[in-house]
Amino acid sequence: MATRTQFENSADIGVFAKLTNAYCLTAVASSSNFYSVFEAELADVIPVIHTTIAGTRIVGRLCAGNRHGLLVPSTTTDQELQHLRNSLPPAVAIQRVEERLSALGNVIACNDYVALVHPDIDRETEEIIADTLKVEVFRQTVAGNVLVGSYCALTNQGGLVHPKTPRAELDELSSLLQIPLVAGTVNRGSDVIGAGLVVNDWCAFAGLDTTATEISVVEATFRLQGQTSAAVINEMRDSLIDNYA
Amino acid sequence: MSTVAGLQAIAPVPNAADFIDAVLNATMRKTPTQIHKNFKISRIRRFYMRKVKFTQDTFDEKLGRIISEFPVLDNLHPFLSSLLNVLYDKNHYKLALGQLNTCRHLISQVAKDYCRLLKFGDSLYRCKQLKRAALGRMATIMKRQKDPLAYLEQVRQHISRLPAIDPNTRTLLICGYPNVGKSSFVNKITRADVDVQPYAFTTKSLFVGHMDYKYLRWQVIDTPGVLDHPLEEMNTIEMQSITALAHLRSAVMYFMDLSEQCGYSVEAQCKLFHSIKPLFQNKPVILVINKIDIVRLSDLSEENRAYIDSITSDSTVTVVEASTYSEEGVMNVRNTACDALLAHRVEQKMRGNRIEAIANKVYVAMPAKRDEVDRAPFIPDAVKAREKYNKEDPERRTLERDVEQGMMHGEVFSADSRKNYILADDSWKYDKMPEFFNGKNVADFIDPDIEAKLEALEREEEALEAQGFYASDEEEILDSDEEAFLDAAAQIKSKVAVIKQSSQAKNRLQNRPVIPRKKRHITLQEMMAGMRKNGVDPSVIEKRAKRLMAQKKAEWEAAGGDAQMEDGEGDDGMDVDMDGGDGASTATGTTAGKVQRGNRQLAGLKNREQDLKATELRKFAQREPNRLAKASESDRHIPITRPRWMLAGKRKNGKTDYR
Repeated sequence: MATRTQFENSADIGVFAKLTNAYCLTAVASSSNFYSVFEAELADVIPVIHTTIAGTRIVGRLCAGNRHGLLVPSTTTDQELQHLRNSLPPAVAIQRVEERLSALGNVIACNDYVALVHPDIDRETEEIIADTLKVEVFRQTVAGNVLVGSYCALTNQGGLVHPKTPRAELDELSSLLQIPLVAGTVNRGSDVIGAGLVVNDWCAFAGLDTTATEISVVEATFRLQGQTSAAVINEMRDSLIDNYA
Repeated sequence: MSTVAGLQAIAPVPNAADFIDAVLNATMRKTPTQIHKNFKISRIRRFYMRKVKFTQDTFDEKLGRIISEFPVLDNLHPFLSSLLNVLYDKNHYKLALGQLNTCRHLISQVAKDYCRLLKFGDSLYRCKQLKRAALGRMATIMKRQKDPLAYLEQVRQHISRLPAIDPNTRTLLICGYPNVGKSSFVNKITRADVDVQPYAFTTKSLFVGHMDYKYLRWQVIDTPGVLDHPLEEMNTIEMQSITALAHLRSAVMYFMDLSEQCGYSVEAQCKLFHSIKPLFQNKPVILVINKIDIVRLSDLSEENRAYIDSITSDSTVTVVEASTYSEEGVMNVRNTACDALLAHRVEQKMRGNRIEAIANKVYVAMPAKRDEVDRAPFIPDAVKAREKYNKEDPERRTLERDVEQGMMHGEVFSADSRKNYILADDSWKYDKMPEFFNGKNVADFIDPDIEAKLEALEREEEALEAQGFYASDEEEILDSDEEAFLDAAAQIKSKVAVIKQSSQAKNRLQNRPVIPRKKRHITLQEMMAGMRKNGVDPSVIEKRAKRLMAQKKAEWEAAGGDAQMEDGEGDDGMDVDMDGGDGASTATGTTAGKVQRGNRQLAGLKNREQDLKATELRKFAQREPNRLAKASESDRHIPITRPRWMLAGKRKNGKTDYR
């Protein structure tokens, strides 16, 4: 199930929201429209939390997490940390990370088992990621970009990466992550997948500019309709070629 | 500017008369109109030359705009170019634009010639006649362009109504004999709403509809019916179909009506297929057997079957059956056609080099297993059980948005962030919590024994007080110290006041007008007192003064005693350096020849009362002019009531009356 939405006229919803299998964070907005889009889809299953990180609304870019834990940057205030602790399920660990690259959402891309991180991240941070999120950590780039969190979106069932990722790199990343990977775009050709798409194992939210073709690629890639991604992508192959080429 | 079928919108073309009117009007409005025969001849010439040149410029600009706005047929997509050729006749179109261009040159030639002649104009009249002739000739040239202008206007109107056909996108092209059901098929699969009537040539031009299939947008073009005759004999309506068939990269859907209800035999329809077959090259071709609710392919007689087979023997042709009436097979036809076209386009693109750039986007990288860890997706059971959120459902979940939108006017919505806290006890949710700072809050610093400790301290203090620990005898010493301090302060204060006063006094003197001693008014008594004070005996001077005064008084009385009233002034008020009392003549030593004239202000007045009355009246009359600050009765000056410096410009600082 993929839904299109926007945050205060911006289609880059991944900047303002973070979605995992155990919780969802959304930025504080002037109206509750954005929050309620997530609330309608998710509130019966997982908590949807209004929050700021370090007093900003770019929560999706500042924090990283999966169903085991949540990492927030060192700039997070004590009040925010307390609010998050009170709102998150007890099983989810919260950890404040003293890391120079403080936009953790941009430098960490992870699912519940594996994480890709920025090559220049601290060794200590790497250990914290492995311990808190209970993942294997790999220092990687995506299509030559060090900001792995910005240029891909991952779940336990599949991943969408930067559209210029070569096939060899796709294969390599796929073997590291142990999930099928597809190169694609969101928001009518935008290559910042992390900013345009928030996704977990059963539902996805894309920016309002996302086209029908992009949505169908997203649904196929993340198996949101219960099919295998390979089958669907092959079925769509002709349409994609005619559309892109 | 909107585009129609890849053509820019064109501004309306006026007819010849309107054109001339507009130009001459502009000349009149935008050039000077005042001229006089007494002006210098060079000025008169310049005046008329300007008019002629301006008119020519305006013609030039307007014609230029028309010429540049109409599309150049050779620069368009071949389809558009030949469609415009079919509709408007390329030669005619080019000729019309060419004529306008010639007309533009002629007008500029006329302007040049007459400007040259105007240089030799020797009077206002001659110059004016030359200008008239020039404008007249330009208008005549323009009047001859009536037909091209009318033609171009019609073309413009027609172009603006052409369907927006994109020649490069995925296109299904529907063709066939008239009345075989082409338009009704388009209506079935798109929302084009083409007119459908039971007679031939209902569709007289190209129509476009759009539809979605396989995540893509498709363009369906309905063409007018084509009859089977040579190309030269085809009319404009048929030629549009042929143009579309020839130039669009599309899937061709050839419609056939086996029931022959359209009025054409199966044989004729098959023949048409063969005669326009050359246009189908390099395109997927679908033979659509329409109206199967009446006759199916299987019901066909032997000979008709043979005709159909002559078409289907070519392996590139796919045959599908449908009925737009019963809607049987319509979607199948559409899907077959779209799939065939998509396959064809993909095949072509695979041959190109752009495919390399997108190869990674149509590729799913499957993981090679690297260990035996099971990495299963984590989907809570609640997801599977959960119903999809439905906005119409009355029992749906109440969202924050619903709460916000349900508020009354004037209320302010603020999301309750604590509502969804997950705590051991729900009653804790709204507990007041001290704020954290650097990871600690007040609770971390509370000493549980604080009460007891405070009690002990207080008791100790009481004991000390009881012992007289705080009593002391230093008060008096402190007092005298304080007194000395206050005394010094008072002294300083008074000194400061004195200094201030003297300095102010100095300033006050400086600001006063100083009257020279000579001019100062001093009475006799004052002078006497002063001299006595300085130890000088003034008796001699006093005596002299009194004598002089008495003498003067006597003289005055002798001179004006009969004409004047009595002098009311006392001796005491007399000035020492007297130069004539009020109302007295200045002549002290009057010669016999000099006539005493008296005070002219008092002339004509009977007595002092009358004088006082007159003075009073005069003063009263002066009041109004004084109030208005008039110098005199004749002062007609009107002061500036709204000074520019005060009222002009923006007001930033200060008030209206002071800046």
